[in-house]
Amino acid sequence: MKKIIIALVMGIAAISSMAANTVKVTVNGMVCSFCAQGIEKRISKMGATKDVLVDLKKKTVAVEAKDGQTLDAKAISAEIVDAGYDVVKIEPVSQSVAEIRAELKGRK
Amino acid sequence: MRRYLAKISLGALCSLVSLSALCGPMGFKDSWMSMGDVSPNWQELFVNYALTARDAAGASALVMRSDDGTKSRQLTEATYARLAKRWNMPEAQANIWFIGGIGNITGNDFSGSKTLVTPGVQVDYETTRVYVSATARLYRAQGLNHDFASARAGFSFFEVDYDQTQPWFILEVRRMRGLTDKTEVTPMLRLIHNRYFVEFGVNNSSQARMNFMYIFD
Repeated sequence: MKKIIIALVMGIAAISSMAANTVKVTVNGMVCSFCAQGIEKRISKMGATKDVLVDLKKKTVAVEAKDGQTLDAKAISAEIVDAGYDVVKIEPVSQSVAEIRAELKGRK
Repeated sequence: MRRYLAKISLGALCSLVSLSALCGPMGFKDSWMSMGDVSPNWQELFVNYALTARDAAGASALVMRSDDGTKSRQLTEATYARLAKRWNMPEAQANIWFIGGIGNITGNDFSGSKTLVTPGVQVDYETTRVYVSATARLYRAQGLNHDFASARAGFSFFEVDYDQTQPWFILEVRRMRGLTDKTEVTPMLRLIHNRYFVEFGVNNSSQARMNFMYIFD
């Protein structure tokens, strides 16, 4: 029974993480709004990108894919590195960028 | 008279250097960065275009005058900035920049114009709350040596998100060879918001200064 519950929890987590098709990128060196602008602009230009959000406090960039499209984590990482920053981690998240943005507004 | 000239030349040339010490001398790739320095005795405009994430080319123009208005200088220059080295850290960024240019300088107390070359180096360290930088730059023309050094240090009053205005306190100290023995000290309030910043300050000669920068693409 315990194994079933664990499997269910993991399954739900996996489904929910895929629902928004969003990734969160942790970036080293992103310390100013001018840094953020450059990254935001480059990621926004990528074909699969629906929305981008830079969180300077957490040093993360959230990227959401357009409906029916898939984000290319390697390409996102390459864009950020080419802009002059280091990518530490890329991970899928369950929230949409709009939800993350709302959460940020809520903490202000 | 010589002191007047020294004073206005120091101020004007320092302004060129100080502008490049504000958050780096260029914007992001494919962006234009415009910067200005405005005060009663000089008005300067600097524009460059980021060809890559590490290279920018541009131009600057400067008009300056002495305190009594009898002496004036005009300087135009083609400029180049190159990010030589960057260290990215979890909460900070450090850079070494090459900055320089070539142009000409004219004045109303000598005839014709002189070719001016201005190679220099800037190092900086920045977090979301702290900024420090140091700049050394040669200002050389025939018969002129105005080598220059400056340092800036500052802190933000509080941390903000990307889309909020962030106020900073910045203290700038700068000095130039050959024109004056005076070291200029200017405390400034800087406001950064998204694509621009403005700075307001009064130096130790009681002169008001206003710097601005705007990035567009």
